[in-house]
Amino acid sequence: MLEKILILLCLSSALAEQPCKPDASDGYKVRLSIKTALGDEAYVWNENEMFLFRATLAFAMRSHLNGQEFDVSNIIVCDETPRVTFWFVVTSPLNTSGLVDKGVVEEAIRMSRNRINSAFLLTDKTLEFIGITPTLTAPVNPDTPPWLIVFGVVMGAVGAGIIVVLVSPLVLKKRKKNEETDEDEEETGVKAVENGSTREGVYNMSFSDDERLTQM
Amino acid sequence: MDKGARPNWDNPMQFVLACVSYAVGLGNVWRFPYLCQLHGGGGFLIPYLIMLFLEGVPLFYLELAIGQKMSLGSIGAWTAISPYLGGVGLASVVTSLYLCLYYNIINAWSFWYLFHSFQSVLPWADCPINSNRTGPIEECERATPTQYFFYRETLDISSSIEVNGGIHTGQALCLVLAWLITYLFIVRGVKSTGKVVYFTATFPYVVLFIYLIRGMTLHGAINGVKYMFTPKMEQLANPTTWINAATQIFFSLGLGFGSLIAFASYNQYNNNFERQAIIVSLINSGTSIFASIVTFAIYGFKATVNYENCLERTRLLLLNAFSLAEDSITMDTVFDWIEKLNTTYPQQFAEIADKLENCDLESELDTAVEGTGLAFIVYSEAIMNMPLSQLWSVLYFIMLLLLGMGSMLGNVTAIVTPLRDFKITSRMSNELLNGLVCLFCLLLGLGFTTPSGNYWFTMFNDYGATFSLLFIVLIEVITVSYIYGIKRFEKDIEDMLGHRPNWYWKIMWSVTSPVLLIALFIFYIINYIKGGTPTYQAWNKELGKSEVMEYPVFGQLFIGLLLVSSVSCVPLTALYVYCRKRKYGNHHKRQRPVSTVST
Repeated sequence: MLEKILILLCLSSALAEQPCKPDASDGYKVRLSIKTALGDEAYVWNENEMFLFRATLAFAMRSHLNGQEFDVSNIIVCDETPRVTFWFVVTSPLNTSGLVDKGVVEEAIRMSRNRINSAFLLTDKTLEFIGITPTLTAPVNPDTPPWLIVFGVVMGAVGAGIIVVLVSPLVLKKRKKNEETDEDEEETGVKAVENGSTREGVYNMSFSDDERLTQM
Repeated sequence: MDKGARPNWDNPMQFVLACVSYAVGLGNVWRFPYLCQLHGGGGFLIPYLIMLFLEGVPLFYLELAIGQKMSLGSIGAWTAISPYLGGVGLASVVTSLYLCLYYNIINAWSFWYLFHSFQSVLPWADCPINSNRTGPIEECERATPTQYFFYRETLDISSSIEVNGGIHTGQALCLVLAWLITYLFIVRGVKSTGKVVYFTATFPYVVLFIYLIRGMTLHGAINGVKYMFTPKMEQLANPTTWINAATQIFFSLGLGFGSLIAFASYNQYNNNFERQAIIVSLINSGTSIFASIVTFAIYGFKATVNYENCLERTRLLLLNAFSLAEDSITMDTVFDWIEKLNTTYPQQFAEIADKLENCDLESELDTAVEGTGLAFIVYSEAIMNMPLSQLWSVLYFIMLLLLGMGSMLGNVTAIVTPLRDFKITSRMSNELLNGLVCLFCLLLGLGFTTPSGNYWFTMFNDYGATFSLLFIVLIEVITVSYIYGIKRFEKDIEDMLGHRPNWYWKIMWSVTSPVLLIALFIFYIINYIKGGTPTYQAWNKELGKSEVMEYPVFGQLFIGLLLVSSVSCVPLTALYVYCRKRKYGNHHKRQRPVSTVST
């Protein structure tokens, strides 16, 4: 009797271990890089962490398949290495010897990937499910590209500068003309000669620079 | 008489700063460090400095003397020296025109990079994600993100010079901006240029100094500086080293374009240009050496970062393949572990052997790059790894812009000044003439913003100015030394400075420089013939790297046109003047010549 019970126990335990093996058709390999992600604040990987992992996966399966009540015991783990990699398979709660399909597991993990990552303070790169590529975040496309804004500012400044440089001599000329016509109205004829000489006085500076001419 | 008076620099300092701003350009930053690396690091300084004193300073002095004496742009000045050789000035103007067309494109690219630096993540730091959101774009994966940003997003480059497309709007906008700023700087001629050069000549040094401090404090910078300064003396026996040193001095000082003649023509007659020539040449070479220290510090940083990334990838590969604990292999012990694992698990090791990269710091440092590849790809790669990368990026591209704009001032002045000397255009206002020149160059320059534009740019860069300049300066120095006569030239200088040039200058002008230039000229011709069909680097988007391609027939014809169009100005003008003189000579025999009182 005792022998029969022993044999049965051995068989059942053997059966229970069979679904999970490396390169299982419905299993996935997980790789964690805790020291890379956290450096000095890295936690040690032990049984409790493994329990958390199985619980998180069970949560992910529950969220995806709303009806079925997955439990920690449905997540079977094997082939742990010092690198912190292992294989896992998921058994169905309705049929403990049957495994959940690979595709369903993948979808469940994709849906709750963020929650799984944050449970372990890791990211898509440091908590890898080999075979499940992470969906990348959509690029942020602002309505006006930022470079155009800076360009507009600089272009506006340059345009304003050019207008100022081109217009200012015209404005100065107008002002001078107004001043001269005012002076003309006050005094007549005699001033005309003096006006001419003041104009020449302005140009004298450039005339004296022209030494090349005097050397002839 | 008063309105025709030539404008002058407000003070001699403006003239010196204008020459410095013109001579210190992008070539000091991206060509000299490359040559230094190629020709044995510190040892390259020996031929460089020798060439500086044999041809650089004397030729610089010569051009300044001509400009200041004649007080005319290059065409007028050379016509005054010898009526048959007015073509030399015309050739200078044509070469300056080609330079203006393509040089402002570099400023447009600098603007593009500058504006794109105002983002939280620099756009050339990561690959953009493809439309399926499964991974990065393939072209970016095969190349690097910085190369992708330059070749695809900045240039939208095509696969060869024959394939073309529409204008890249972003590039065109940046080019318009570059020309508007150039116009703003030169609009009133010397009066506006003189004020701008205070900034464009000095601020790049501020940025270089800041970068020197930043560069030296970077991790791994010392590797690069050590690499640069360990001289490889055997390179001195290589004739290419000396030839490259001579051509670098020559082009770095900007001789032959007519800009120096133009700048000097606005000087006071008695300005002491002898001292200024020596100062500017020394500043130019000093800046080259200074910039190469900064460049090598950054090279060292980039090489060290790449090397350490390579080690990290190898470490991860080993950890994952052999499932070892994470902290068992560190970066220092990677090579030991490779050997250990190879001996203990040879079969497993053989499986990953093809994924294993060869990480070597020396080979990373050996990758010598020059030109736009250095400035826009290698440097931006280094900058994105620095902390506060946006700040360093903005500073760096502002420096590139100032260097480029400063050189553009000289280039455009070299075109405008001789044009002003003609009667037709001297009646036009300054603003109008400058505007027309800028508009003309802008419209032609838009051709460089098309997908094949970068290939045309390379063609102009390699062939537009190099050969013609050698020819122009050779004719210049032979004209002054032998046709005009050293004795007459001496007297002119004594007139201006008060003393004659001493024997060093005279020997350089009459013997050394012509001999050197003839040697360089012959070397170029031999190289061109030996080189066979001219080639260029085309970007292959499937492979994600550049490959060498030959120019098609129309490309080679265009190269020939570029070379011939500037060089032929000299004989054609001589012929034209000769024919005119014969025609009017006959007229003169029949009529009594009316003496003209003109200056």
